[in-house]
Amino acid sequence: MLVKRLQPMVSHARRSYVGLMFQVMGRALQAISEVDEITRNETRALPVGFLFEMQVMPNGPKLIVEHTGNGLLHYHRDGAPRPVDLSIQFKHMTHAFLVLSFQEKTSVAFANDRMLVDGDVSLAVRMTRVLNRLESFILPKLVAERAVKEYPANLHLPEKLLSAARIYLKVATNFVETARA
Amino acid sequence: MTNNYYEFFCPVKVIAGKAALEHIPYELTGLAAKRPMIVTDKGVRAAGLLDPVIAACEESGLEIVAIYDDVPPDSSTTVVRDITKVYRKEKCDSIIAVGGGSAIDTGKAVNILVSEGGDDIAKYSGAGILKHPLKPFFVVPTTAGTGSEVTSVAVITDEKKGVKLPFTSSFLLPNAAIIDPRMTLTLPPHITAATAMDAMTHATEAFTCMAKNPLSDAYATAAVKKVSQSLLQVMDNPKDEHGRLELAQASTMAGIAFSNSMVGLVHSLGHATGAICHLPHGLCMSLYLPYVLEFNLESIREPLGELLLYLEGPEVFSATPASRRAEASISSIRKLRDALYKRCQLPRTLKETGKVLESQLEAIAEMALDDGSIMFNPREVSLEDALSVLRRAWA
Repeated sequence: MLVKRLQPMVSHARRSYVGLMFQVMGRALQAISEVDEITRNETRALPVGFLFEMQVMPNGPKLIVEHTGNGLLHYHRDGAPRPVDLSIQFKHMTHAFLVLSFQEKTSVAFANDRMLVDGDVSLAVRMTRVLNRLESFILPKLVAERAVKEYPANLHLPEKLLSAARIYLKVATNFVETARA
Repeated sequence: MTNNYYEFFCPVKVIAGKAALEHIPYELTGLAAKRPMIVTDKGVRAAGLLDPVIAACEESGLEIVAIYDDVPPDSSTTVVRDITKVYRKEKCDSIIAVGGGSAIDTGKAVNILVSEGGDDIAKYSGAGILKHPLKPFFVVPTTAGTGSEVTSVAVITDEKKGVKLPFTSSFLLPNAAIIDPRMTLTLPPHITAATAMDAMTHATEAFTCMAKNPLSDAYATAAVKKVSQSLLQVMDNPKDEHGRLELAQASTMAGIAFSNSMVGLVHSLGHATGAICHLPHGLCMSLYLPYVLEFNLESIREPLGELLLYLEGPEVFSATPASRRAEASISSIRKLRDALYKRCQLPRTLKETGKVLESQLEAIAEMALDDGSIMFNPREVSLEDALSVLRRAWA
């Protein structure tokens, strides 16, 4: 009985968490493309103006970033300016929550058919590598190991801390700018 | 609570064995189809493989209304459009694809156009675009390896744009796959070997990659057992109908396995090598399989060890310490490749193919990293990792 009464609150909390995580990740993707050369090497292969979306089906929270050139990503907080080129869609809010709360690795979620790719699969693979690199930077190692297939062996603590601090600073700045706007 | 989750789907009726072709008229009638069209290639027709299919239909009073026998090895949007025109002109109501991967993929693509309408197949490219069942579609494979008869994917080249268009939908699956040993009896030795190793790789990767599940495991292990037991027998006696049927069934079972659990790095490297060096897919699979298994070893030790039972049988399995079974499985696959090299010179290294330059390895590695199947490889693969596998496979 109690579980039944709590269910709407749990659903709402999950939705809010997923929405917040998408906002953080979108801004963090923009930030990592500004601070990390390896990430830029990955994103340079995307066409300029390329729009990437992650969304919860059918009309759930989403994040949209655009490749603005030279490997730099821009987070679109107000939605896509035109139809997106590549969309990775979670089939259900529960599946998005499992991944974004690091209970299920992104690669496992793909293997478990939790997500659909609409667009060029090779670019989806590339964007997944970018997401993995982001998670390896900004999450504590113990948590990151739950999120990515393999924690990069060559990512050492000083580089991780420095990059994470720069990414978080840029994310926080972006949030403040959004609030002021 | 378990975190395991999987999906498994295969609604294809498999009609396999002696006189299987003779079931086609009954099956077509069951779907109210009276005017079938055959889609095939010149090689299949020249080998006389259409004759038993046509005879089986005619004996039951079912006329094959049209035959298109000009499907190229790499089918294109133009070919699909041409076949669609013939289908509509002749007022056909069903398709029988007879051939290997290209003929089958072409049949799937034609079925989209004749069912959904229009002439632009590119419009239906992607996943989940199709929302309705298509026309009756039967597949008669003439190679034993691709497993295309039980997969929901087709790839067609758009010549104008120079890109490969993927089509994914469960509606692409045929109503029936007809596995008749007569259709593979005349396959040349090197194609028999390469396609069987393709099936072996489908099964091995299905059993060791990330999306493995109990149902795909059952198909994968059965396929590995059939290839291990029958391939060399067929190589020594190509007219062995029982062995041919075993290989054809193995191919279908491996197809069911990998279409439900996906494949990994062997396919990523194989797709890239095929695109850059134009090597046949089955050959690439045979070539890379042991090297990728070695790369993945510590992540797949347990399932790979289990495969020894199906590769070598219970005596070898029980005589091998559990801690050495994974290595023994790789040795078994190497042994099989050596035996195939002895019989038909199926290359075991990139150098032995004579068609790959060492300078191309970096390009192959880079392309492999963006291949969709790499997502399901149990180990993360960096550019250096892919290059190191390629260097080991070089010579």
